[in-house]
Amino acid sequence: MSAASAHRPPILRRNDDHWCGDFQAMASPCQLLTEVNSEAHATELLNAVAAEAWRVEGKFSRYVSGNIVADINSSGGLEIEVDDETANLLDFADSLNRMSNRRFDITSGALRKVWKFDGSDRVPAQADIDAVLQVIGWHKIRWKRPILQLRPGMEIDLGGIAKEYAVDRAAGLVREQTDAGSLINFGGDLVVVGKPATGGWRVGIESVDAGENSPDRLIHLRAGALATSGDARRFLLQDGVRYGHVLNPMTGWPVDIAPRSITVAADTCTQAGMLATLAMLRGADAEKFLDQQSVQYWCLR
Amino acid sequence: MTDKQNNSIVMSLAAATCTLLGTAPAGPVNAQEDPGWNFNTSLLYYGESDGRVQDASLNLLARRSFADDKSLALTLAVDSLTGASANGATPMDVVQTFTSPSGNATYSTPAGEHPLDGTFLDTRVAISASWQQPLGRLYAVNAGLTASGEWDYTHLGGNIGLSRDFNKRNTTVSIGVAFARDNLDPEGGAPVRFAPMLDVGDLSNKMGSQDKDVVDLLLGVTQVVNRNMLVQFNYSYSDSSGYLNDPYKIISIVDPVTGDTVPRIPTPGVAGPSHEFRFESRPEDRAKHSFYGQGKYYWGGRVLDLSYRYMTDDWEIDSHTLDAKLRFPIGDSSYLEPRVRFYSQTEAEFYRASLNDGDPLPQYASSDYRLGNFDAITAGIKYGWKTGSDNDMSVRLEYYVQDGEVPAEQIIGNQSQRDLYPGLEAIIFNFSYGFGK
Repeated sequence: MSAASAHRPPILRRNDDHWCGDFQAMASPCQLLTEVNSEAHATELLNAVAAEAWRVEGKFSRYVSGNIVADINSSGGLEIEVDDETANLLDFADSLNRMSNRRFDITSGALRKVWKFDGSDRVPAQADIDAVLQVIGWHKIRWKRPILQLRPGMEIDLGGIAKEYAVDRAAGLVREQTDAGSLINFGGDLVVVGKPATGGWRVGIESVDAGENSPDRLIHLRAGALATSGDARRFLLQDGVRYGHVLNPMTGWPVDIAPRSITVAADTCTQAGMLATLAMLRGADAEKFLDQQSVQYWCLR
Repeated sequence: MTDKQNNSIVMSLAAATCTLLGTAPAGPVNAQEDPGWNFNTSLLYYGESDGRVQDASLNLLARRSFADDKSLALTLAVDSLTGASANGATPMDVVQTFTSPSGNATYSTPAGEHPLDGTFLDTRVAISASWQQPLGRLYAVNAGLTASGEWDYTHLGGNIGLSRDFNKRNTTVSIGVAFARDNLDPEGGAPVRFAPMLDVGDLSNKMGSQDKDVVDLLLGVTQVVNRNMLVQFNYSYSDSSGYLNDPYKIISIVDPVTGDTVPRIPTPGVAGPSHEFRFESRPEDRAKHSFYGQGKYYWGGRVLDLSYRYMTDDWEIDSHTLDAKLRFPIGDSSYLEPRVRFYSQTEAEFYRASLNDGDPLPQYASSDYRLGNFDAITAGIKYGWKTGSDNDMSVRLEYYVQDGEVPAEQIIGNQSQRDLYPGLEAIIFNFSYGFGK
C-alpha cells in the first residue's frame, strides 16, 4: 500500500506556550507537542514525526497488505530473508520471549481468531483453543538472522512492539533537529525529547471508568517515557467471570487476574511498553514483578 | 523464577532496546506523580528556664494538589502555654506583691528576683486555609484566611498575593497584601493607659475589650542564579493601629534618687500591690519596614541557606537577624542540619525600665523586655530522614539565649546593683513527620 498519500495531513495549532500537532496513525490519535519557536520549525518536526509513524505502520502492521509482515505470514513454511530493521525487531522479540519465559510471543496473534473480546459471553471451546495452539510458539520457528522460517499456518504480529518502537524512532528524528522540549504521544505511549522549559509535561492517566476529562492521576514527565498496557473495554463476561484480553500463549487462556491497565515510566517508550506488557502477562503478580524491577508504575485493577 | 532473575529483566530489556533503536536513551526517566493530599504534622516544645513560659504545640498541615498546579493548604495549630512571664516591674531588695490581671487575687515576688506573672496559662487554637493557582501562563495567585482564638484574644485575617514569572521562569516577582483584625479581651478588662495597679476587687482601672488592625504589604523577587543557586529579596511594610499595649505589662514607679520602687499601702482589710505600679502605654500606631535577603546554595547534595533581615520601625526599634543553616546528607536518605541565628535589636524610643515618682507622665512608656535593647543567639541541630515508606521525619533541638541591657541613663540609684533586664534561656525541641502522596 502506498501509505503516505492515504493519510490525512497532520494539523498544527498553537496552544498556550507550545505547538500542538495532531494526526492519526496505528489506529490511534497521535500528537507532537513542541516548544520550538517558529511555526515552520514545528511543521517540519510534525511532518517528520507523522511520516515516521506512517512508515512504521505501513511496514509492520499486519493489517496492511504487501508489507514484510504479510510476506512472512504468507510464506507457507518457506524460508524468507528479511531486511535489517525487521531483523532487529525479530531479535528484540526473540529476547523478550526468552526474558518472559515464553509469555511474550509474537506468534500468539492467532489466538484472536478464537477469542473475540467484544464484551459478549462467547468464550471459545477448549477444542478450538487447542487447535489454534498448534500454530503458536516462537520456539517452533527458525530464526537465524536474516533468515526466518515459520511452520505452515503460523503468523507473526509485531503490533505489540511497533507503536512504542515508532515513538522512540520519531523521538530520534526530533532529537536530531532540536533541543527544545517536545513530547511525542502515539495513542498514550509517549516520550519526552529535549528539556521542557517548564516543570515538565503533565500527563493524565485516565481511570478505566472515569468520566470524561477526569484523569485519575497526573504525572509530571520531565524526561523519559510512559507507556500503558491494557484496555478495560476489551473483555468477555461469562457466568459472571470476566475474561480479560491478555492471553497466555502457552495455555491459550486469558491471564488470570491481570490488572485492567498498567502504566510504566522508563527511559524509552519501548522499555516502558515492554515492561507494562510483561507485567500484564504476570496477571495477579503484575505489581510484584514491577516492584522487583524497581520501576515506577501505576496499576489499575 | 527467582527474584534475582526477575530483577535482571529490566537490565536485559534496556540492552535489547538499545540494540533495537541503535542508540542509548537520551537520559534517565524523570516522572513524578502529582500528589493528592499530603500531610505534615509536628510537635513543638518550647521551654524557658526558671519556670517561665512553656509552650507545647501541635501543628497539622494538610495540602491537596489539583490538576493545573492548583493547591489548597489547611493548617491547624494548638498551643498550650503555661508558666510565668516577666511583668515589667523592676527587681527589688524586698518582697513585692502584685494584683493579678483578673483583679481578684495577688501574687508575690521574692526579694532580688525579676517579678514574674505566674498566672500565665492559655490554650490557643489557630486555623488557616489558603488557595493557590496559576492565572494564565506566567501569573499565579494565592488567597487565604486565618483565624485564631485563645482565652483573651481572637484574630481574623485575610491575605491575597500575585506573582509573575519572567526571564524563562528564572525570575519571580510577587506582591501581597494581608489584613487582620485582632480583638483583645483580657481577663478583668484591658487596662487604661498608665492606670495604677489597684487593690483586689477594684476594676476602675480597666475597660472593655479592645481592637487592633494590621495591614501588611509584601514585595518580593526570587531569582534563580544558576543550577546551584537561588536568591530572594523581600520588602515588607506592616502597619498596626489600635490597642497595641500588652495588657499584662506594668512599670515600677520609683524614687528619683534611690531608684527603689515607691511603697504603697493597700486599703485596710483588702489585699493589693505592695508598691506603686502603672500599666504601660504604647503608641496607637506602629509602622515597620523590613528588608530580607536569602541565598540558597546547593552543591553535592549539600544546601547552604543564609538569610539576613533588617527591620526598622517608627518606635525606633532597629533589628538585625542573621540566620545560617547548612544541610548535608548522611547516606542516601538522611541529613544533618546545624543552624545558628543571631539577633540584635535596639530599644523602643519609649522603653523605660521605670518611671520617676513625681515626674509628669510621658505620653508613652513600656518596660516590656521585648521592646528593650537585647541580643539573642539560637544554636541547634536538625536531623531528618526518610522512613521505609518514603515519608519524611525530622527532629530538631535548639538552644536559645537572650540577654539585654537597660540604657545607662535610665539606671537610678540602687538600681545599678540590680540585674534590671530579665534575660532568658530556652530549649526548643521539634519533631515533625510528613506523609502522603
